[in-house]
Amino acid sequence: MSQRNWRKILFGASTRDLVGRTLLLVFAIITSFVIVLIFSQVWARAFPAIIILGPELLGPVWDPTVTEQYGILVFIAGTLWVTGLSLLIAIPIGIAGSLFLAEYCPHRLKEPLRLILILMAGIPSIVYGLWALYTLVPFLRDLISPLYIPVWDSLTNSFVWISMEWYSGYGVLPAAIVLAIMLLPTIVAVSYDSMVMVPDTLREASYALGASRTETSIKVVLMTALPGVGAAVLLSLGRAVGETMAVLLVTGNNTTFPRWIFDQSYVLTSVIANQLGLAVGGYPLMESALFVVALVLLLLSMFFSITAKMVVSWGMRKQGLR
Amino acid sequence: MGTSKSITRELRSWFRLPKSRREFLDRLTFVFLAVIAVIITLPFFAIVFEVVANGWILLNPAFILTNMVGFAEGGIRNAIVGSIELVAIASMVAIPLCVGAAIYTTEYAQRGRRRARRWVQELNKWVIRIVEFTADVLAGVPSIIFGAFGLIFFVAVFGRSLIAGALTLALMMIPTILRTTQESLRAVPLSLREASLALGATTWSTSWRVVLRAALAGIITGILLAIGRVIGETAPLLFTTGFNFDAPWGFLDAIASLPFTIYLYALQGHTEIIRLRAYSTAIVLIGIVFVVDVIAVWASKKVGLVVRAGGV
Repeated sequence: MSQRNWRKILFGASTRDLVGRTLLLVFAIITSFVIVLIFSQVWARAFPAIIILGPELLGPVWDPTVTEQYGILVFIAGTLWVTGLSLLIAIPIGIAGSLFLAEYCPHRLKEPLRLILILMAGIPSIVYGLWALYTLVPFLRDLISPLYIPVWDSLTNSFVWISMEWYSGYGVLPAAIVLAIMLLPTIVAVSYDSMVMVPDTLREASYALGASRTETSIKVVLMTALPGVGAAVLLSLGRAVGETMAVLLVTGNNTTFPRWIFDQSYVLTSVIANQLGLAVGGYPLMESALFVVALVLLLLSMFFSITAKMVVSWGMRKQGLR
Repeated sequence: MGTSKSITRELRSWFRLPKSRREFLDRLTFVFLAVIAVIITLPFFAIVFEVVANGWILLNPAFILTNMVGFAEGGIRNAIVGSIELVAIASMVAIPLCVGAAIYTTEYAQRGRRRARRWVQELNKWVIRIVEFTADVLAGVPSIIFGAFGLIFFVAVFGRSLIAGALTLALMMIPTILRTTQESLRAVPLSLREASLALGATTWSTSWRVVLRAALAGIITGILLAIGRVIGETAPLLFTTGFNFDAPWGFLDAIASLPFTIYLYALQGHTEIIRLRAYSTAIVLIGIVFVVDVIAVWASKKVGLVVRAGGV
């Protein structure tokens, strides 16, 4: 075989194609491998604590330095309170907002509103946290402290645990409010998308039957778009559970059990942010317990994003859109 | 979609009394939903106003162009340059990786090699599924998990440094860039590829010289969205970058960043000067994010890609 042929085989277009394809396949494998790597690393670090502590991990007391108790239940409770309350605020408002944007909004307002939502989603969470810390917390303190004493003093006889002389402003409530504000763009955008996908023929059929705009938008559009709205709720749940910085600054980070919305709390993400840097220095068991917290977070977020995807594809199949 | 009237027609219909209970309810719902829409956008203006009203007092060229001296004096040049360094290096890692992976899934696995053996086709189908699935899962992973992962994986190798922080951010950029690149590659008409292949080009040169060029604006949109997202992230940098009062270019040096600086200010306490400096830093950060986002939205309109609040 001549010199020329060899060169063609080694450096020719089809060789370049083969090499390039293999390289790109490696890239594709690397991008999918990232999540596997993260999961396995977190699992490997969490494993010692799961073996050593076992059911102790579900205890209610977190005191790794003095009494060496590693109960993460208090953080789960904090996350449940903050996430639950924020979704309670954000979901109805978000769905109503997306209904407005999809069905009622004048065309001229649509683009500016969507831009505002995109920018709102773009504001870094630390800036939300800063705003909550310097504005929302003092505001809530000044708003609720004076109301609190006359209203609740009479009840403290029956509910001793809600007695509180002075409300600091920190706790579940400001965290839930700022989290709700941060979740709104996601909820509105995702459910808006599913409402826009509802075919116009359905609307026209509804109008032809004499339905008003409200009846059409609620009974036809919202009901048809319900899987998308469900996906929006699940996605925002994942976001809410994983949100770190804004919540960290305003929950008060107190390891007592939160019992109602004016109590201070400590959420799953905050404890990692606050204590992991310290633990990696010289507290191996505490570090491992913190990675158990990370594992819980990782599993929760994976569960929510996978379920959201399943709900969307189920809804699309049901409606015959795909 | 098709039912919204123009503003003038809407207004005109308001001046007559409702004819029935149903029409009254209809109008009531409209007012109610409009009020909700105002409530949703109100926090945006409140936050931007709050940040700008407090932060502009300290904002001057010296504040941007000098390094920090302690926490209460000097400017924030180290944080600005640090953020830019982190995002630049993260992009340099993430962009080739994601664009490459996206080209593989859309050009090779999906379209190319139609004559390939059955099992190769099956395998490619699975590669597409796995890449998309893992990207979607990765998009939902909390940012603090990336920080914890960066601490045990990158910091263990590099120490708390520029490169450890940048690699952690690169991981966070993967889902956004990968998915938008895929989307814009798929939007390129098949006829362009066919024309190139008919001229005897390989899939490789078709992908690079034809498809990628046609999809470039969409890919840039995705990159800008990813940059706008990670430049404001604090949690992945908490354990990975350390802090520095200067902005060195050494890969192994500790580095400051805008969000991390704001976080430190928020922890420092409630003295007036710290509060104002935090807000001024926030103005710079929000300014960068908004400019990047607006360019991304503008670019997306050019190519017909839909940008959605809240990313992928």
